[in-house]
Amino acid sequence: MSYIGKSVKRVEDKRFLTGQGRYTDDIKLVGMTHAYILRSPYAHAKINSMDTSAAESADGVVKIYTGADIAAAGVNGVPCGWQVNFKNGDTMKEPPHPLLVADRVKHVGDAVAMVIAETREQARDAAELIDVDYEELPAVTDPAAAAADGAPLVHDDAPNNVCFDWELGNPKDEVRAALDGAHHVTTLEFVNQRVVPNAMEPRSAIGHFDTSTDRYTLYTTSQNPHLTRLLLCAFVLGIPEHKVRVVAPDVGGGFGSKIFHYTEEALVIWASNQIKRPIKWTSDRSEAFMTDAHGRDHVTKAEMGFDTDGNIVALQATTHANLGAYLSTFAPAVPTYLHGTLMQGLYTTPKVNVDVTGTFTHTNAVDAYRGAGRPEATYLLERLIDLAALEMGKDPAELRFQNFIEPFDGVEQPGYQTQVALQYDSGNYHPVLKRALEMVGYEDFRKEQTEAAKNGKLLGIGFSTYIEACGIAPSAVVGALGARAGLFESAQVRVQPTGKVSVYTGSHSHGQGHETTFAQVVADRMGIPLEDVDLVHGDSDAVAFGMGTYGSRSLAVGGSAIVKSIDKVLEKGARIAAHKLEAAVEDLDYAEGKWTVKGTDKSIGFGDIALTAYVPHDYPAGEEPGLDFSSFYDPANFTYPFGCHVAIVEVDGETGRTKLKRFIAVDDVGNVINPMIVDGQIHGGLAQGIGQALLEGALYDENGQLINGSYMDYAMPRADDLPSFEIDRTVTPCPHNPLGVKGAGEAGCIGSTPAVVNAVIDALWKGGHQVKDIRMPLTPERVWNAMQS
Amino acid sequence: MHLKGTHILPVAREQLWQHLMDPEFLARVTPGVTRLELTGTDTYEAIADIKMGPVKGSFSGDLAIKEKQEPSSFVLEVSQKSKIGNVSAIINLVLEEDSADSTIMSFDGKAKLSGLLARMGQRVLSGVANTLTKQFFAALEEELSSASA
Repeated sequence: MSYIGKSVKRVEDKRFLTGQGRYTDDIKLVGMTHAYILRSPYAHAKINSMDTSAAESADGVVKIYTGADIAAAGVNGVPCGWQVNFKNGDTMKEPPHPLLVADRVKHVGDAVAMVIAETREQARDAAELIDVDYEELPAVTDPAAAAADGAPLVHDDAPNNVCFDWELGNPKDEVRAALDGAHHVTTLEFVNQRVVPNAMEPRSAIGHFDTSTDRYTLYTTSQNPHLTRLLLCAFVLGIPEHKVRVVAPDVGGGFGSKIFHYTEEALVIWASNQIKRPIKWTSDRSEAFMTDAHGRDHVTKAEMGFDTDGNIVALQATTHANLGAYLSTFAPAVPTYLHGTLMQGLYTTPKVNVDVTGTFTHTNAVDAYRGAGRPEATYLLERLIDLAALEMGKDPAELRFQNFIEPFDGVEQPGYQTQVALQYDSGNYHPVLKRALEMVGYEDFRKEQTEAAKNGKLLGIGFSTYIEACGIAPSAVVGALGARAGLFESAQVRVQPTGKVSVYTGSHSHGQGHETTFAQVVADRMGIPLEDVDLVHGDSDAVAFGMGTYGSRSLAVGGSAIVKSIDKVLEKGARIAAHKLEAAVEDLDYAEGKWTVKGTDKSIGFGDIALTAYVPHDYPAGEEPGLDFSSFYDPANFTYPFGCHVAIVEVDGETGRTKLKRFIAVDDVGNVINPMIVDGQIHGGLAQGIGQALLEGALYDENGQLINGSYMDYAMPRADDLPSFEIDRTVTPCPHNPLGVKGAGEAGCIGSTPAVVNAVIDALWKGGHQVKDIRMPLTPERVWNAMQS
Repeated sequence: MHLKGTHILPVAREQLWQHLMDPEFLARVTPGVTRLELTGTDTYEAIADIKMGPVKGSFSGDLAIKEKQEPSSFVLEVSQKSKIGNVSAIINLVLEEDSADSTIMSFDGKAKLSGLLARMGQRVLSGVANTLTKQFFAALEEELSSASA
């Protein structure tokens, strides 16, 4: 039977919904101790002295480590996994990120000591007895202010706090000339605010050193256990990789924040060998707010020029991107190669230049958060084109239609070469906007809007037609762009003697439903029942290698690796079947789990062939026993999903409160394996994207204090903030992977944010307030104030 | 955070000045203060228990009185540490004669919070500061009336 395209219920949900998921913090090892990390209360301060004597004699304390201990032991800091060079070719500034700080703390939450005790409570109580004498220093938190002369320096060897400056696209003077010659230029200065990822499960890590085998095991809340092992072994601790096992069991959400190799992982592994006991560290929610890598935080100026007919003639984007105090694993890639490269959008803009300065500030690290760079690019483009339509008195949908790139399938027609390095694989952009307009009932809505305005009601509609890049690859290309890792994926398909199948994938599921989707691919291709397939992931001892799950890459890259291994299994199976059926391989058909000699009723089932492969008595000469294949898949290109999101809002003219009345999303994510799971991914992404537009935002005060680091102060979207989403899809298959899939994990979060803000701006313009921008999140206070000006 | 306010107290300016320079008197009227000891010229060590919205802590640290212009003004410097974060503040206090037995006391300053206190307490901070100020002046008035009685 066919499983592809069916909304099979998620097989993993049985354990999740019955409370039987097994997360890192659930694991209890014999003799396990507990660590608590003491963190800086200041954004920037010199540590004059630290006295741990009272804490050392506290109840239950096993050992305390400080920054001085780490430095004395010669332990390296955590590395950065992506290098971006300055425009002049100089290497980016890459200051060390020590596991514990000895001299100068650089953000609130910077780790200064680790207390290990018999219980978590004892560790925490003892940490409160550590007396640290801090001398507070001035701090800077804004990415543009940080680059100004005289700003407090985060790292002495990074002048003006600049990590790198970077540009991409056409030469700036050509873009400037095109803007100067344009009929109309829309200019917007805005902030894409910092958001906190807020995975439901806080980070946790257990380090275990086995003295009998000299092997380490790290259990960790990671989206990519193999990369964590590589960084931990090769860069931080210098321990041999074959002596380290990294397990990422059930993980309760990541949204990017669990891609990275964090200091706490290295600390518990290193210290477990010092004290010869397992150590568990689990973040509390407050620590999660302070130390899980944040997202976004761009300060941008952008100009989009149009000719008299409304065709876009040029785009100039200039951004200061906040990197935080230290470089997280992929931090430099996010505002550059995952942001600048998307500035073509869906449009034929002939001249595009993107200029990005990455700066250090006295804040927590900023790295990939659902969408990673692409939401920022989409926000920039889609805010500009919607605003341009208002300014020029054009219809925002029509303005998009006329600027869309014409359809290309990547097979008959070549991919589309952008001005900003990428070549789109396949695209057909008109239908997503057309379908969205149908779903909205666009003409009727505009009439309703006009009527509403007469009655003083502020109705608005906002569009966003986005493109994104998923499954970043191939390895050679990303290597040329500065990645210090490959971006392939591995898969092993092990057929057991009874014909049941174990699939080992380097992708990592932390909410995406891989155990279902991947099993659907295998069962469908092999013609066997779904329940005969099990997925193994998240354990470096079980899986050959993996690059993990992020950037909507799992199915496009990891799924394709599985297909390669399935093909190998079926090829070998066919040779064994040909022997058993006394026929030529070419004369066999494979369908519904059996090989049949064409034109006859002679056939043999998959299970029989599997058993024959392991009990090879009557067997083809020269054929190896067994039915078990590994593959590595390195894609030819990124995949490029796209779509159209539309928000309809009503703004309360008295209070400035925005009510999101409808949200329509038409996405094209290529072929779809499990529509229900894709819908779920879209829904979750939309909630996060809308959350950024209306509610969320991390706030640092002028002293660098994070002042909304709790759920009483940081507004997360709730069910009653959101309408029932209206979603649909078009299908433009990916031409370069065997499944034709593109990726759906981030789409909702990439397209939705500007649609909501555009809708509010539209509502205000129709009500006579010609407001160009309101800083996100669009709280009632900010919208009300905008209406008063 | 900005701290600012004015209060009229039924006491002569010189007398109020004497009270404000008396650690025992101050310890009695300042909300949350459990101990206030003179450690040097115009410097004190203070211990206080304060609840701020969802967080509460035991604070200890130094108070210093500077730029004394007896009897009209001084600057109070506060530096307090706790397990839930640290507070530092610089506050200008001005005493103006209202009448022979009444004084206008005004204060104007800034306080800085750090750590958990900043993350959790910021939202309720101005409310807490107002309450503490009210308590301070209420206690001060009560102390003054019992002293004069």
